[in-house]
Amino acid sequence: MKRYGEHRFPGKLFVVEGIDGSGKSTQLMLLHQWLQSEGYGVVFSEWNSSPLVRETTRRGKKKQMLTPATFSLIHATDFADRTEHNIIPLLKAGAVVLCDRYIYTAFARDVVRGMDPKWVRELYSFAVKPTAAFYFRVPLDVAMKRILEGRSGVKFYEAGMDVGLSEDPEESFHLFQGKILDEYESMIPEFDLTTIDATLPIENQQVQMRQIVKAKLAQAKRLRVAP
Amino acid sequence: MRETYAVGLPRMDLAELTGKLIVVEGTDGVGRSTQIKLLRPWLEQQGHAVLDTGIKRSQLAAKGIQQAKEGHTLSRITLSLFYATDFADRLENEIVPALRAGFVVLTDRYIYSLMARAIVRGLDPAWIHNVHSFALKPDAIFYLRIGIDDLIPRVVFSSGFDYWESGADLYPSEDMYESFRKYQTALLAQFDKMAEEYDFTVIDAAPDVRTVFAQLRTGVSSVLSGEPRDPLFAAGPVQHKGEGAGDTSAGEAARQEETLSPPAEK
Repeated sequence: MKRYGEHRFPGKLFVVEGIDGSGKSTQLMLLHQWLQSEGYGVVFSEWNSSPLVRETTRRGKKKQMLTPATFSLIHATDFADRTEHNIIPLLKAGAVVLCDRYIYTAFARDVVRGMDPKWVRELYSFAVKPTAAFYFRVPLDVAMKRILEGRSGVKFYEAGMDVGLSEDPEESFHLFQGKILDEYESMIPEFDLTTIDATLPIENQQVQMRQIVKAKLAQAKRLRVAP
Repeated sequence: MRETYAVGLPRMDLAELTGKLIVVEGTDGVGRSTQIKLLRPWLEQQGHAVLDTGIKRSQLAAKGIQQAKEGHTLSRITLSLFYATDFADRLENEIVPALRAGFVVLTDRYIYSLMARAIVRGLDPAWIHNVHSFALKPDAIFYLRIGIDDLIPRVVFSSGFDYWESGADLYPSEDMYESFRKYQTALLAQFDKMAEEYDFTVIDAAPDVRTVFAQLRTGVSSVLSGEPRDPLFAAGPVQHKGEGAGDTSAGEAARQEETLSPPAEK
């Protein structure tokens, strides 16, 4: 079993992180488009999407059966399935793999839910270390405004209602995301996250991202696929 | 007070878990469930309320694991974590509440089987130990020990060779017999290693069901009477005949009325 930082693959792994409303998914989508147009073999992998585990997670959430421990473990199970069946084989084949959320999402959420920080980090130690992990830093109020304008109500676990911060979903969401934000901030030095100012115009953020990705891809050989 | 192996879980209060947590461990086909079927009524006759539980019986994950296993596509880390999810769900929602209510919890396997399977599949022992380090330390672990040559005929003449119990995911080029033999031999070696590390009470599972049960009963009796005893019952194990009163220790004495009254079924 290879641990974090021990894998050696020809492919490259780029991940985006940040609180809800930081704009990370938009940036990843733009990066995806660009890499494709440049002729790279790109694959996108989303958090919480393993077909094997999806049904269990869905039921657990719907019936509100999840405790901090089972919430943590079921997401780790999902992530393990994607790592073993998807991410690792693709990296072996030399693909550029893009992940919307990665292990840092789990570290932030699980620790805010009260799980032991060291335990959670060790739990995910089988994960492949990303080539670069982008953290989209945004003040809480800006993110909240973007989110609450854009959708009708937040879900139970999304708002951290299980943590018991507030009875009011919107207030709970606010408090919960604030704590998540604190966790992210402390992870920047710990995991060497590449911070992007997510209050800048979308175009500027994308330029920064592409520059960094380009530099990392330049070091890789034979990554281009035939158009 | 009770302890976990290392980390605590949020909102899990370890105080006043007055019941007893008794683990029956052993490899596939060794006769664990047969023994538990005998233990449960025996304990209930003595007035103990019993919860019996076991791997892959959680409300949350049992169905998902079953479906995933049928597809035979589970990789080793995923499989281990799915089982850990199942275990955590049962620990929090069944085992701890039952211990708080003063039940005797009989569990068919515990984290040791899960760890042995993972290690045999090549996962890092330190990693899998950490995954399960939130588990409560049991009051006793009875390990039904058997050699591979005694195990094989039992399995052949009961359930037959099962895909996962034969570790067929590990040795795809072997037939089920060879695969079972290799896999179970490796598992038994892991159990033996853990027997020391986790202080298993080893029971020889090679003899017939009745003989094994007699050994198990003696072991369980001593666990249940192991607490500091009320002077009234200090006379010793003779008390066992008296309608279960003999098994009531000092801490349990006041609670005895309660534990006797509700039916043992959940």
